Amino acid sequence: MRRGQIVSLVGIGVLAGGIATAVAVLLPWLPRPAAREASRIDFTIWFVIVICIVIFAIVAAAILYSVVRFRARPDDHEDGPPIHGHTGLEITWTLIPMLLVTAIAIVSAIVLARDGAQGKNVLRVNVTAQQFAWSFSYPDAKGLTTGSLMLPKGRSVLLRFTSKDVIHSFWVPEFGQKQDTVPGMHPTLHITPDRLGTFPVICTELCGLGHALMRAQAVVITPAAFAKWLKSQSAAISSPNAAVSGAAVFKNNACGACHTLAAAGASGKVGPDLDKLAAYAKQARQPLESFIRESIVSPNAYIQPGYPKNVMPQTFGKSLSKPQLDSLVKYLAASGTKG
Amino acid sequence: MTAVTADHELAPHGRGGWGLLFRAGWIRAAWMSCLFGAFGFGLVVVFRWWGGWQPLFDMQVITLVSMLVALPLGFLAGIGCFDYWAYYALGFPTRPEDHSGHGARSWRDYFRVNTDHKVIGVQYLTTTIFFFFAGGLLALLLRAELARPGMQFFDTQTYNGLFSVHASLMIFLFVIPAFAGLANFVVPLMLGAGDMAFPRLNALSFWLLPIAGIMMLSSFVVPGGAFACGWTGYVPLCSTHEPLGAVFFNQGVQWAGASSIMTALNFLVTIITMRAPGMTFWRMPLLVWANFTTSLLVVVATPFIAGSQFFSMFDHVMHTSFFDPTKGGYPLGYQHIFWFYSHPAVYIMMLPGFGIMSEVISVFSRKPVFGYRLMALSLMAIVVLGFSVWAHHMFVSGMASWLRVPMMITTLLIAVPTGIKVFSWLATMWEGKLRFNTPMLFALGFLSMFVIGGLSGVMLGSVPIDIHMSDTYFIVAHIHYVLFGGSVFTIFAGIYYWFPKMTGRMYNERLGKLHFWLTFVGFNLTFFPMHILGTEGMPRRVADYAPKFADLNMFISLASFGLGASALVFLYNMITSWRAGEPAPSNPWRGMTLEWQVSSPPPIFNFDEIPQVVGSPYGYGMPGAQHAILAPARTAEPEEAGVT
Repeated sequence: MRRGQIVSLVGIGVLAGGIATAVAVLLPWLPRPAAREASRIDFTIWFVIVICIVIFAIVAAAILYSVVRFRARPDDHEDGPPIHGHTGLEITWTLIPMLLVTAIAIVSAIVLARDGAQGKNVLRVNVTAQQFAWSFSYPDAKGLTTGSLMLPKGRSVLLRFTSKDVIHSFWVPEFGQKQDTVPGMHPTLHITPDRLGTFPVICTELCGLGHALMRAQAVVITPAAFAKWLKSQSAAISSPNAAVSGAAVFKNNACGACHTLAAAGASGKVGPDLDKLAAYAKQARQPLESFIRESIVSPNAYIQPGYPKNVMPQTFGKSLSKPQLDSLVKYLAASGTKG
Repeated sequence: MTAVTADHELAPHGRGGWGLLFRAGWIRAAWMSCLFGAFGFGLVVVFRWWGGWQPLFDMQVITLVSMLVALPLGFLAGIGCFDYWAYYALGFPTRPEDHSGHGARSWRDYFRVNTDHKVIGVQYLTTTIFFFFAGGLLALLLRAELARPGMQFFDTQTYNGLFSVHASLMIFLFVIPAFAGLANFVVPLMLGAGDMAFPRLNALSFWLLPIAGIMMLSSFVVPGGAFACGWTGYVPLCSTHEPLGAVFFNQGVQWAGASSIMTALNFLVTIITMRAPGMTFWRMPLLVWANFTTSLLVVVATPFIAGSQFFSMFDHVMHTSFFDPTKGGYPLGYQHIFWFYSHPAVYIMMLPGFGIMSEVISVFSRKPVFGYRLMALSLMAIVVLGFSVWAHHMFVSGMASWLRVPMMITTLLIAVPTGIKVFSWLATMWEGKLRFNTPMLFALGFLSMFVIGGLSGVMLGSVPIDIHMSDTYFIVAHIHYVLFGGSVFTIFAGIYYWFPKMTGRMYNERLGKLHFWLTFVGFNLTFFPMHILGTEGMPRRVADYAPKFADLNMFISLASFGLGASALVFLYNMITSWRAGEPAPSNPWRGMTLEWQVSSPPPIFNFDEIPQVVGSPYGYGMPGAQHAILAPARTAEPEEAGVT
């Protein structure tokens, strides 16, 4: 190789690498981390990206240089030089990639181990996935169950997954971590939130017709606020008032993930708006309370126009006890007509 | 013509009206399909009646047995795939091989069971291109729905069906068989062989394909809708929670998989036993090496997907509990078996393309392939390593967590032989005399796109990164860079490269170049932004998405329509050039491999005399270098069938 060739090659390589670097740095393609694990994952991504950009630049330089410099003239029917190989070069481009992937493997294994290492005083949360809703329960708080994942900042959290039907997958982009929920198994996932805010919980494994709508929220709050929230929620569960306990059933079964109900502060858009229940019952030509009961127990019996069939879980008839169902129906009938 | 068709007759009926009914062909296929279908129907009903099972007419079982198993068998028997074997098995005198099934004399011969590897190669390619357009159309429908958030055109059942059938068609009915088609035409020629080792098996493997494709497409009209659980068919969604359409996927994969396995066996035997004298393994063109290694993968791996689909289908139809956790089944078992095939399948869809690249780049650079032996050995390395990486599809699946790091290491190691190939192609071009005909443009397009896909693959190989990226649009971007920018570009390169040899006519070079640039630009505009969507938080396989992704999705949809339109240029070029292109010389690219030493199209039996191989297939730039010595080629005249 002549010196001029090397200079042009390096020039094109730097240019190609520069463009790739600019794309990687300037485009906002990674969410801002909200957990220590996500920061470590981001570090791994940037570590690998740097290697990738260098390789890409080398290949791009070789292709572009060849295309420009080795183009055959139309009247040139000669062959190129009969070069069959070069042992030194072949060893080089076997060994260097081998070293690079070894480095990637070592960094990745370390990050993986550290992401899985739990801190002290771990908060346990049981996550239940079903078509097409998430619910989160806190075994340390007498099984308090909610439709949003509330987490204190800075504390190690161990999520334990249960699936009631098919495989789902739990992902909060800002947390980086992801885990499939497999029926019959209880995999776990470790997260240490380190930024306050509200983030989407997304199902990433195709789980049926409502897959795109299987969303919830993860809310990271300060440890003090979290302690207060736990207390107020536990109080709500044990209150004897029927309406309040209907509200608890509504909350614990994550109804608000899909439905809007002003009284519960729920604003889900997947299923029908429960503030309009009275109007729906009229359209279905049924008395309000029996309409609500039927819609919970066998959701496909009447489908409000504009909403898909088979999305609402058909399991509530079995999973709710008779008093729970009664109080939920009363609660919905009462608060739905108010709105 | 008459002499030929008379030989196809099944029974000694006259050539009158009744004879037509019993002659192998479409009429017999029609009534035998109905007969077999009715037999399957009767079988189910009689057994259910006998066993006292209710309901007597169980549509699920009837559809499976009658429509998806018996009817296709009737079609195959009717069209004539089993005639020779049936005579043999039943003890009737077999017809002596008169080679009437060789060569195509009119377009009608492409619609018959033909045992000529060149005809079968063309049958494969036209069929797979049909399914490529069908699958592409489904993708455009998907993009139309995704252009805006919310639901516009389809309900979720249809949407999920669209992406599931799109992926299945592209993988099982386009990329894998299109490579098999190209190799079917080229490999025997390159080896100096007269045909494949088992021509009748070869014909059967082709005729299984349309069955698989029609099965997958027709699932759209089944009550309950098409299979909608993705091409991965994960259980228990696909086995216990899906409508009848899922069985169409299970069975479609069986037919396509059987075709793959038979073709691979055929290639292995052909390559091992039918090389011309002097053609040692180290003198084989890299395309032959590529198909040899691919066939090893297919033969070992494909039975695993067959098994996984049978078990899933049994769970669905017969209520077994292989994968049903409510009855003690193990859902992750499906994933392990499935990916034990489907990861090697990635290389089944890649290695033949590597072979095409080596041929095209060397011929259009006028230089020997750089590091020939290491190129062949890295193919073998990919085969071996390819079987030890399947669980990298399952890093977030909840499998035994100790498996993650070893599988990560093997996955990353595959980058080494792949890198060797990329660097060797670059070195092949270095100081060459490059000519940018359409095949070479697609080869360069492949090199650049495949490097991007390979590097995003290295990213995904790292477990922590994969945990973040799994099941997002980053994966969608990655697989399209590898399978579209990789495999499909090499298929286009191969089709343009061998088009003169297959049809005897040149394609239109200007349209070819236009096709390349439209595809290259459209491809990048469509798929590059998907990387960003994925890392930002858009999961794949969703019909609806968060409003913040709306602009990028609209952009991608518009770009994808441009990409779709570019395929029409290809189609127009192929059709017009085949009908009225300039006649092709026997060796338009001045290649050294054997297929270029015979006429275009090749004589019916390829070589009038078996060539003697004397040297490397890539002796470019070496004065007096020869790959093989063979008698001067004659032209392809149908009359030759009788002479030889």
